[in-house]
Amino acid sequence: MARNTPTPGQKITYFVFIVLGISILYIDINSKIFSSVKNNFQSFKISSSFVIKNITVNPLKEFVELMSSKQKLLDENTMLRKKLEDSYLRNFLITKENTFYTDRTKLVKSIKDDLVTESFNFAKLTHIDPNIFNCCDRHRMYIEILDKKNESFKEAMVFNLNGIIGQIVANGSQNEVILLTDVKSSIPIKNSRGDFFCNAMGSGKANLISCSYSQLVWINEHKIGDSFYSSGLGGIYPKDIKLGELTSIDIIDSSVTKLEIELVASPLDTNFFGVIKI
Amino acid sequence: MIASFIKKTLLIILVSYLDYKISYGLSKIYVILPLTFLAYTFFMYKSDYNVGPLESFVTGLFVDLITNSYFGHNAILFCFASYLINTYSNTFKLFSYFQICIFFGASATAYIGFSQIILNLYNFSYLTLFLSGIFNIIFCVLVAILSVYFPSISTRKI
Repeated sequence: MARNTPTPGQKITYFVFIVLGISILYIDINSKIFSSVKNNFQSFKISSSFVIKNITVNPLKEFVELMSSKQKLLDENTMLRKKLEDSYLRNFLITKENTFYTDRTKLVKSIKDDLVTESFNFAKLTHIDPNIFNCCDRHRMYIEILDKKNESFKEAMVFNLNGIIGQIVANGSQNEVILLTDVKSSIPIKNSRGDFFCNAMGSGKANLISCSYSQLVWINEHKIGDSFYSSGLGGIYPKDIKLGELTSIDIIDSSVTKLEIELVASPLDTNFFGVIKI
Repeated sequence: MIASFIKKTLLIILVSYLDYKISYGLSKIYVILPLTFLAYTFFMYKSDYNVGPLESFVTGLFVDLITNSYFGHNAILFCFASYLINTYSNTFKLFSYFQICIFFGASATAYIGFSQIILNLYNFSYLTLFLSGIFNIIFCVLVAILSVYFPSISTRKI
């Protein structure tokens, strides 16, 4: 639809309004006649925006801030706990120097040894069934190794703050760990004097490993409470790490004696582990 | 009538707010985009009826009030833009989209020039004026393209 162009009368109206506008502009620039109107409007604008903000935005903002601060605290707490565990594990050789290794010279050697530091990784627990751990023969757990590259962790030792837990038997996104208490697990051990060696097998019971030997070969005498250590003869577990204490001596027949050792480390103690491949 | 008035008023407030928000960022690259002026001239161009001098004058005064500018500044320029658009409303139909975009871009540049003379005479910058002119024309072309490719946004092509 065509629109009408301004008639001469309308043009005069335009001219009048433009002249009026120029007059108002001139007055406004050169005097403060409109300042009260402007100030009132500004104060109205500020107060109304303040009221609207208070009613609408601020409650929402406060709610979001409250939620985010809670979440932030939770995240911080988790991060600190992780860092603490990380720090404990990183310094495990130092923090557990009196119990983890039999002597301090070994400890110092291990710290200086590049091999240990190079193959040292952290891992977090992804799955373990405590019911099966307490009841059945197959004692396995699954861990996720942090900051791993493409290296294989098969046959790497897994430990926590108290001592050895087991070894990795399968690679993947999650690594399967056979615990020392699994009936298929075996670890070479020795006594504190270093004059008795034996291959301890998993007992299938929580925190217990057993070692059978022939009295005809080993004539040593053991007593309840004796400490046992890893002998390092298998090539998987490092030498001289305390495993546990003797809890029972069972003389099966004239030639076979069975020792039961209660482990100092339990996989249920922590959910953060260290992995060392020798 | 009242609904239309409220709608227009709210739109002017919204566009003016947007104008205020983007002006600081654009000033860093020596560009002024008079969004309120462009929106109102676009409305006058799109309107089925002639927007009279009284309506444009009052709207201009309202914009002066909400933007805390001198009274009469936008009133004069809106009035003048209204006059131009009403005068050439039928001639625009013979123009291509690009020519119309140049017209709106040039009007916006003229608005900037007058505004600078009124509000910022001692720091008048030809660089700002020149860059703003180019920017406004490009902006109008982009809006025209937008309305061509997305006709639902604008039922009537620029």
